[in-house]
Amino acid sequence: MNSRNIKAWAALQAHAESLRDTHLKDLFQLDGNRFDELSVSTGRFLLDFSKQRVTGKTLSQLICLAEQQELRLWIEKLFTGEKVNDSEQRPALHTALRSPHDDPLQVNTQNVTEDVHCSLAKMERLVEQVQYGQWRGFDGSPIKSVVNIGVGGSNLGPLMVCDALSQYASSPLCRLDVNFVSSMDGSELEKLLPTLEPATTLFIISSKTFSTIDTLANANTAREWLLKASGEPIDAINRHHFIAVTGNPKAALKWGVAEDNQLLFWDWVGGRYSLWSVIGLPIALKIGMEGFRAMLKGAHAMDVHFRNTDFDKNLPVLLGLIGVWNVNFLNIHAHAILPYDGRLAQLPSFLEQLEMESNGKSINRDGKRLNYRTCPVLWGEVGSNAQHAFYQLLHQGTEPVMCDFITAAKRYESEGEELQKQHQLSLANCLAQSRLLALGDSAVASEQDASCYQHYDGNQPSTTIVMNELTPESLGGLIALYEHKVFVQSVIWEINPFDQWGVEQGKNVALSLLAELDALSDDGLDASTKGLISYVQQCCKENEPHEN
Amino acid sequence: MKINVYGSGLSAWVAAACLARVGNDVVICEGSQGKDKPLNKIAVICDELGLLHELEQQIDSGRLTRSAYMPAPVAGIHWVALESSEQETVVQIVRGLQEGEQSDVLIINQCNFMVGATAELQSLLADKGDVVYIPDNLQEGVALQGFSQPVRIILGLDRDHALIKIRAVLRPFSTRLDALQLMSSREAEFTKFAITGMLAIRLGYVNELANLADRLGVDISVVQEGMGADPRIGPHYLSAGCGFGGQNFHSYISRFSGIFQEERQQSLLKRVIDENEVQKELLFRKLWQHFNGKLAGKVIAFWGASFKPGTASIDNAPSLKIIDALISQGACVNVHDPEAMINLKEHYGEESLITYCETAMSAAEEADALLLVTEWSLYWSPDYQKLSETMREPLVIDGRNIFDKEMMLENGFTYLGVGR
Repeated sequence: MNSRNIKAWAALQAHAESLRDTHLKDLFQLDGNRFDELSVSTGRFLLDFSKQRVTGKTLSQLICLAEQQELRLWIEKLFTGEKVNDSEQRPALHTALRSPHDDPLQVNTQNVTEDVHCSLAKMERLVEQVQYGQWRGFDGSPIKSVVNIGVGGSNLGPLMVCDALSQYASSPLCRLDVNFVSSMDGSELEKLLPTLEPATTLFIISSKTFSTIDTLANANTAREWLLKASGEPIDAINRHHFIAVTGNPKAALKWGVAEDNQLLFWDWVGGRYSLWSVIGLPIALKIGMEGFRAMLKGAHAMDVHFRNTDFDKNLPVLLGLIGVWNVNFLNIHAHAILPYDGRLAQLPSFLEQLEMESNGKSINRDGKRLNYRTCPVLWGEVGSNAQHAFYQLLHQGTEPVMCDFITAAKRYESEGEELQKQHQLSLANCLAQSRLLALGDSAVASEQDASCYQHYDGNQPSTTIVMNELTPESLGGLIALYEHKVFVQSVIWEINPFDQWGVEQGKNVALSLLAELDALSDDGLDASTKGLISYVQQCCKENEPHEN
Repeated sequence: MKINVYGSGLSAWVAAACLARVGNDVVICEGSQGKDKPLNKIAVICDELGLLHELEQQIDSGRLTRSAYMPAPVAGIHWVALESSEQETVVQIVRGLQEGEQSDVLIINQCNFMVGATAELQSLLADKGDVVYIPDNLQEGVALQGFSQPVRIILGLDRDHALIKIRAVLRPFSTRLDALQLMSSREAEFTKFAITGMLAIRLGYVNELANLADRLGVDISVVQEGMGADPRIGPHYLSAGCGFGGQNFHSYISRFSGIFQEERQQSLLKRVIDENEVQKELLFRKLWQHFNGKLAGKVIAFWGASFKPGTASIDNAPSLKIIDALISQGACVNVHDPEAMINLKEHYGEESLITYCETAMSAAEEADALLLVTEWSLYWSPDYQKLSETMREPLVIDGRNIFDKEMMLENGFTYLGVGR
């Protein structure tokens, strides 16, 4: 799109200009029913947009924009398996991963739903075997600990969900200790391995391509640890201690994981959209297949909502469009994710990848450079902790920032009174912060004579997402909500959210530098890199024992 | 004397049989569901050798009759032997007696409730009589003898008034009695827990030693003899094996460990219980290691499945864990047990990987390994020659260390014991 050619775009620009000097506190003063008009709830969620710098007119103009960009058509393309990932010539069918068995989806000649449910069934058998203590380590002991080795989409999603849903862990009899390692430098493994018993530890190597060097490096370290501890031959260790979750069975086999120990998924599952597939194995091991299926169910409900609901009541559409409004019309390029719930501590990292890897693009689907901004910089933290860290910038800095406040209404209902109070305290902080960010000084009536350094401008927009409670189902819905929000924005921006060419080149450059670390050659390196390499080499030399 | 015995577990049936045999008029109050079931259809009775016959005799003689808990027939003595989960029922029975016409009743509590339970029952009964506690020393497999010829009885009572009557009840069973130890009911309850826990810890320790002996190439049976000869230790409960089971033993120590855990997170006893569960899979691990984790299609013979000899009970038996593990690996199981076959069939139903065998030798036919799981006497001295010929691979894994290792090796067997 050349934004100048889109009528709705120009209208929105004019509209934004007219709202430029209107503070959020004025919007609240002008319209007492603002919350009723600018919040939408489904059975499980409430989204409150009333603290965004929008009016009813903004929303209708944004919806015009969505219509002009043929969002409805794109949604159908997404759901029916068209090749929406055009640079890689394939569909993006994460919605099919959570589609019920009786709702078959045919793509070309393939019954995708059938494939998905076969793969889920294989995963279920494996999960039961491990959970019932019948997957055995090299000496015949049942597996007690699981370590997921993966990075990016093979790590962030399962890690975030396992962390969020640990209260739903399977009954003590089949409870497993589920761990995650990702970092290329082995730091996590180095810490984790001494706490594990080799004979009772199962590793999941999770990699779509089975060529990710970070993951394979960690897998090799894990295997070396097992070989040393067991004295067993390598094929026994491979057979009893490694499961491969991958889209590349040949590479997994070559590394040493035989077919029986492989769970496969398809090239039409993008890494950051893959926790619904067998990549979710650690989730299923932690909360059981029943919990895993509940999560799929919640996501599917959001899919149905996204596909069938009018745009003015459609949660992902509204969330996406308001993001576009903030980025392209209010010039806000920072986005904070603020869960007021410690269980969602990993959600910001997950959304950082989901949004920035999907929409961090600057050319459109036709390969043309864009003349407008796309994905903002995202970051976040558990809100109550962030209050003691970066909220200063939100309240009194120079950067406009849009925020998502995320919380659950009900929690700790069967726990002690003090924990229930802590939940109330957290809720109160969530509401207080979004209020102060929006209204500034006027949120605090008595502070009018405050000194200038005590002054709060306000006018920082935010959305508040309230889940009735955090369950496998509602979390599934929340993740799907953000997935679809990202898709909505990509359609408006005319970019392909399902590729990530920007992360490929760095891997290649690193591989070529690996050799240079051992022996620096002069060939074509920049001065900075050369200088850094020789410094590292010098440090290493100093530590070597001197020979006299 | 007129005695009511309450309960439908093994303890109650054994008490009823033994009390009736010495001339008392006994009514066994089994609760409302049980009392119409034929005796030979009641598993706990059939599982205990000799008990069914004894009960039938006492019923024929007219000294033993069957009834529901309530309304309990009028009697002066009430022997209460319900499960540890049935405390509420016991409270109702005592309340019924408190409200009833009979005065000066004697309640003998044999239930394994928490420490202090007997004292609570006493305060419920108030001035209608006395409640005393006699710990249930039932040993499955030798229960009748254990009841009628005890060597030692611990009697927990809080009021001396009951002593004359309780002595009279116990008199016929005192022929071999060395000691009647009197203590408060709380102390007696605690003692019962303490003894059971001690035995479990001893067994757990011996099993741990055996596993170490395995690794160090030492024969644990020799070590056991050495340990047992030390008078501070003594020879009992020193046999290494593939884990202890049984409904009573297990539920006692779990409850006792539960009390500990209310006090602190981890107790020695909890550790022993957990390790025992691991020990129950020992024979499976030995098989796994022998076959390098490739057990699919292997035929594994079982000699014995009950949790110990002399009982048909398979409650918490190691055999179940080993069979489960083998089936999961796709191995075939041929099992023989002189008493537990009915219980096993009920537990596993029509599982295609399990064959229930008529004789010990037929179980070993074409087997890749033989597991001795329960030390029934008929297994102690097999026809080695025939056994070796009938098996596909002469591998014997002896979970109770009953075979002579040298003899086994001489007959061409590969022999693996527990700690030898």
